[in-house]
Amino acid sequence: MRRAAWILGFLGIQAACIWLVEPDLPRLWDGLPRLAGWIAGGFPPDFSGAGDLARRALETVALATLGTTTAAVLAVPLALLAARPAAPLAVLYHPARALLDALRGIDGFVFALIFVAAVGLGPFAGMLGVALHSAGSLGKLWSEAFEAADPAPMEAALSAGAGRAQAAAVVLVPETLPQTASALLYVWEFNIRASTVLGLVGAGGIGQELKNAVDLLDFNRVIAILATIVALTLAADRLSAALRRRLL
Amino acid sequence: MTPQPERGLVVQGLTVVLGGRAVLRDISLQVAPGEVVALEGPSGAGKTTLLRAIAGLLPAEGAVVAAGRPALVFQHHALAGRLTARENALVGALGRMGFWRAALRLWPRSELAATDAALGSVGLSGLEDRRADRLSGGQRQRVAIARALVQRAPVLLADEPVASLDPGTAEGVLTLLRDLARGQRLPVLVSLHQPDLAMRFADRLLRLEDGCLRPS
Repeated sequence: MRRAAWILGFLGIQAACIWLVEPDLPRLWDGLPRLAGWIAGGFPPDFSGAGDLARRALETVALATLGTTTAAVLAVPLALLAARPAAPLAVLYHPARALLDALRGIDGFVFALIFVAAVGLGPFAGMLGVALHSAGSLGKLWSEAFEAADPAPMEAALSAGAGRAQAAAVVLVPETLPQTASALLYVWEFNIRASTVLGLVGAGGIGQELKNAVDLLDFNRVIAILATIVALTLAADRLSAALRRRLL
Repeated sequence: MTPQPERGLVVQGLTVVLGGRAVLRDISLQVAPGEVVALEGPSGAGKTTLLRAIAGLLPAEGAVVAAGRPALVFQHHALAGRLTARENALVGALGRMGFWRAALRLWPRSELAATDAALGSVGLSGLEDRRADRLSGGQRQRVAIARALVQRAPVLLADEPVASLDPGTAEGVLTLLRDLARGQRLPVLVSLHQPDLAMRFADRLLRLEDGCLRPS
């Protein structure tokens, strides 16, 4: 009976999603030859101006890296405020968690769109977008790591007369370093991937090149850019995974 | 006014209520400087609660009179595994340091010297830079005692400090506690699960049952 209720609930949700999304298989079927034609016409990929492509790829890595670093600086106090064992002011616990949820809930792409309007086109707007969204993600992951840590060393520090923030800085932060550093690397790797599309809203990086190529229906160039993006994200993924393996 | 012995510990009428239930009722006891008093009793009698209440970690009615905040040696060391023995012992000095100095690990030279001396006094010279999670159980408990010494507390409380140690190591830790009590004129209140050890190492025994002290 209970299983039937679960199945019915699941099917109900899927039906509601279908009603909202209106999937149209005939339309996909009609579009497939066009798509296949573009892909076939995209070979050989156009890697001309490889210097520009490389500069845009580096710009993507730079804005993701700087955005992640800025996010980490913002996330440290927020994560400490949002973790019960560390929170120096209990009254700020729920507001800090709500702020982290809000930052996490708005995608970096949306933040970048807003920052392009505020500070103009270019990677700086993208970096700000990445930083704000990632501050929410990192803060949440770090606060969870702090809450999952063994509370005994913190309690010992508090019983020795340490303040809560002091004990968190001296005991909790170093004790959870493998988890927090691993989360930081994971977010950086995610940001490299996410930053490849920020150019679509004028927020710099290789996405800018992609948008230009798509606008011109230059599919040889599109394939070259996509190959560069795949290489970039794979490299970031491998590097991040190797570093995380060493940390944990 | 409660009479205060010279650097001793006086507990008067201590009552702890947790979740609407009186876990400890009207506990009064006294530990003189240099004296080791063992607290024994069955599991759930309230030994840990009493020590935590005296250490100020639990809200309690009644009076705890000492020349300062008591130091508590926790049952399972309560050390940070990734920190070195020295860094763990230095946690005892945090109450005397500002936030930034502690967060940036700018330990004063005097605290570093006192910490190394404390580690030496518990027999851990040469192991100052070893991570706590790479020390043996007995060595970890010694670091926890060193942390309590670095705190410069006038009273030492120890909650089942030998619960997880083999007999030989347990005797070493209890001998250390007794030597510290004698040498530094510290009042030491230690909860022990093993009556034979309590009788051998303590000057006096107190029996706790159902949250009340009974004649031992």
